[in-house]
Amino acid sequence: MNAVRRPALASFGFAGFIPVLATFFMAILMLLPLGTGAANIAMPHLVLASTFYWLSSRAILLPYGACAILGVFLDLWLDVPMGMNMLLLILTRLFVLNQLKHYKGRSRFVHWAVFTVLALALYLLSWLISSAVHGTMIPPEPIALQWMVTSFSYAPIGFLMGRLRRAAM
Amino acid sequence: MLLSIALLTFELMGSGVPHQVRAYANDIVSPVLRVLEQPIRAVQAGLERIAGVSDIYLENTTLKDENDRLRQWREAAMQLSRENERLRQMLKVPVREVPPAATTRVIGVGGGAFERSVLIGAGSADGLMRGSPVIDETGVVGRVIQVGRWTSRVLLVTDINSRVPVRLERTGDLAIAEGQNEQLLRLRFLPQGAQVRVGDRLLTSGHGGAFPPDVPVARVTEVVDDFILMEPIGLLGKLDYVRVMAYNPVPDAVFDDADDQGEQQ
Repeated sequence: MNAVRRPALASFGFAGFIPVLATFFMAILMLLPLGTGAANIAMPHLVLASTFYWLSSRAILLPYGACAILGVFLDLWLDVPMGMNMLLLILTRLFVLNQLKHYKGRSRFVHWAVFTVLALALYLLSWLISSAVHGTMIPPEPIALQWMVTSFSYAPIGFLMGRLRRAAM
Repeated sequence: MLLSIALLTFELMGSGVPHQVRAYANDIVSPVLRVLEQPIRAVQAGLERIAGVSDIYLENTTLKDENDRLRQWREAAMQLSRENERLRQMLKVPVREVPPAATTRVIGVGGGAFERSVLIGAGSADGLMRGSPVIDETGVVGRVIQVGRWTSRVLLVTDINSRVPVRLERTGDLAIAEGQNEQLLRLRFLPQGAQVRVGDRLLTSGHGGAFPPDVPVARVTEVVDDFILMEPIGLLGKLDYVRVMAYNPVPDAVFDDADDQGEQQ
């Protein structure tokens, strides 16, 4: 009867939208021509890193609907098979909600390692999906490179998002 | 989850989101991209300037020499051009020069490791059409695949879906330059016995009507039996301004038919 009530989304006020807005901003950053052609490979999946961070710290503020909408926009903007990023972000939420109990409160290094393993599985899945849609095996090297860049980028993104969280919430 | 799987199933069946929806989505984000790219361009230009200061003297000397050489070439080229024009008029050969439809900037990239495309800041409002070839100052960059009102998406020649009909400049042999989602292109369907050497240039052949003839595409970098790799001549790694050519001899219906066939497959 006296169970502790978890905070509702509305109780955060405007700050409750920060995870969605920050991740949306990351989606736009992913489109910027930072060196154009080369950036196609070198640009990390900022949205995935941001989504994982916010789900690991404030999962309530990034519901399934928000993940799906972010994924749809990303699919449209990146011109990748429709539903691919949507599926990746929803799977990320599903994974975090089920596994958070194992790494919550652990060091940043553990979070980073979990993200790296999760990103590997998601990139593998997206490689299979993309190859199936194109009807040919897409070379795995650029995808492996992007996975590595994304994994390394989690540390600075996590740091920035952490600062933002502490400043706004 | 079900919705995403349903969308992916539609993509697998070839009946994905219409090109126009994606093009309008790009239009929506383009104002934000245009604003955000300004500081990035400024930083990039600043860094390039700093990097260039150290060897400015050497560069100046090299440029002076190059300028002298180019002046001589210019005279020769103008003389040949005049002669060519006279002969064309005498033989009544139609002019092959293709005017640009628009010169515009790259405002975004897309695809990540899965597709090679860029977003440019010109669309149907500037007279762009689907299928128009896109070049930079050095060679072919790709072709327009989605046209929004103010933005368009260009499929780069390095994309796995890109096929450019080419001919070897040295021998005239015809082939297809195929993208591989990597930095290098692959040369395929070359006639048996064709002699290819490292350093050979490939130009568009004009076959299929997708690209005008004689535009530089790539240079051969590696030849191992039938496996020939080429480096694109267009500066795909540092695209800034690109030119969309007003060349669209293949009617849009052909692209739609091709899409329909893809859906059936």
